[in-house]
Amino acid sequence: MTLPDASQKAIDDYLTALRRQLRDLMEEDMNDIVEEIRAHILDKTTAGADPAQVAHTLAALGAPRDLAARYCTEEMMRRAEAHRSNTQKARIAGRWTVGILAGLLVLLVSAVGYSLGGFLIIIGIAKLMWPKGTGLWEANYPDGTWGLGFSGGSGNAPPANSHDLLGWWIYPIGFILGPAILYGTFRLGRWTLRKLWPSRKKFNYATTEPQTEI
Amino acid sequence: MEENQTVNPESADKWEIQLRKGSLELAILAALWGGRLYGLEILRHLESGSDLVVAEGTVYPLLTRLRALGLVESEWVESDSGHPRKYYTLTAAGRERALEMGRTWARFAASLNNLLTPLNGAVKKETP
Repeated sequence: MTLPDASQKAIDDYLTALRRQLRDLMEEDMNDIVEEIRAHILDKTTAGADPAQVAHTLAALGAPRDLAARYCTEEMMRRAEAHRSNTQKARIAGRWTVGILAGLLVLLVSAVGYSLGGFLIIIGIAKLMWPKGTGLWEANYPDGTWGLGFSGGSGNAPPANSHDLLGWWIYPIGFILGPAILYGTFRLGRWTLRKLWPSRKKFNYATTEPQTEI
Repeated sequence: MEENQTVNPESADKWEIQLRKGSLELAILAALWGGRLYGLEILRHLESGSDLVVAEGTVYPLLTRLRALGLVESEWVESDSGHPRKYYTLTAAGRERALEMGRTWARFAASLNNLLTPLNGAVKKETP
């Protein structure tokens, strides 16, 4: 059905005003109400209806504010309130689940990262103290078995039947890669936690203590 | 004193409005007894079947309230007019409520008619 622009505008303005007055209801209810009133207006308006005819139809419905007030009954407001609190509950539960899972993952990655970084630094220091007994040893035993492992601090002599795979490379690995892994783990953990709780700082603004950056 | 003795036409009107409003819920449930209808059909049904002058802006909020109470359910149906219409149907709870309200109404009307017996002669004279 086609309507003159002025008539269409009058209908649109009425429905916009009605929607604004219904803002306290559930969005689904609000849309449903506005669409039903639109259908009613269109059913009562013939094609090509002039603005006066449209105005008559709108007047029969009452002012948007009065019509909206009739919709905002106790039942409808309770429905909106219940929906709001359910959505809120679901959002909080979802945020907690994601937070806990991400927290566990950060914990696991951090544990591995800090252990590995710390271990490499210790191996570097051990190499300084016991250069001959520290290294990544590959062992070929007489019985045919094979072994691979770091050792250090158990005497200043290589383990039996073994040779060092790293040699002096153990220094850059211990003193550059080790701290790099520690720093990388720290940065990754801090970044993840900031992503998870971006508003953390905002809520702590009142504390006099310097902000703890995790 | 004299003011108190005259009938205030405004309060008589208010009483009638309240009476219409109070009975509108039952009238709508009864209108839907025969099957599904959309808002404007319900309005036309009420106007054609009675002398209830129903404000259009009253019926739609009431239908929404009845739906929130689970007494009616609604569905959008495409129509030839080019826009969908929202049809209402009574739910089982709605049918039960309509019957219960209908019984209450009949009982109330019968007992009030009894009380009105003394007025009957005067009312009949007034009505042509």
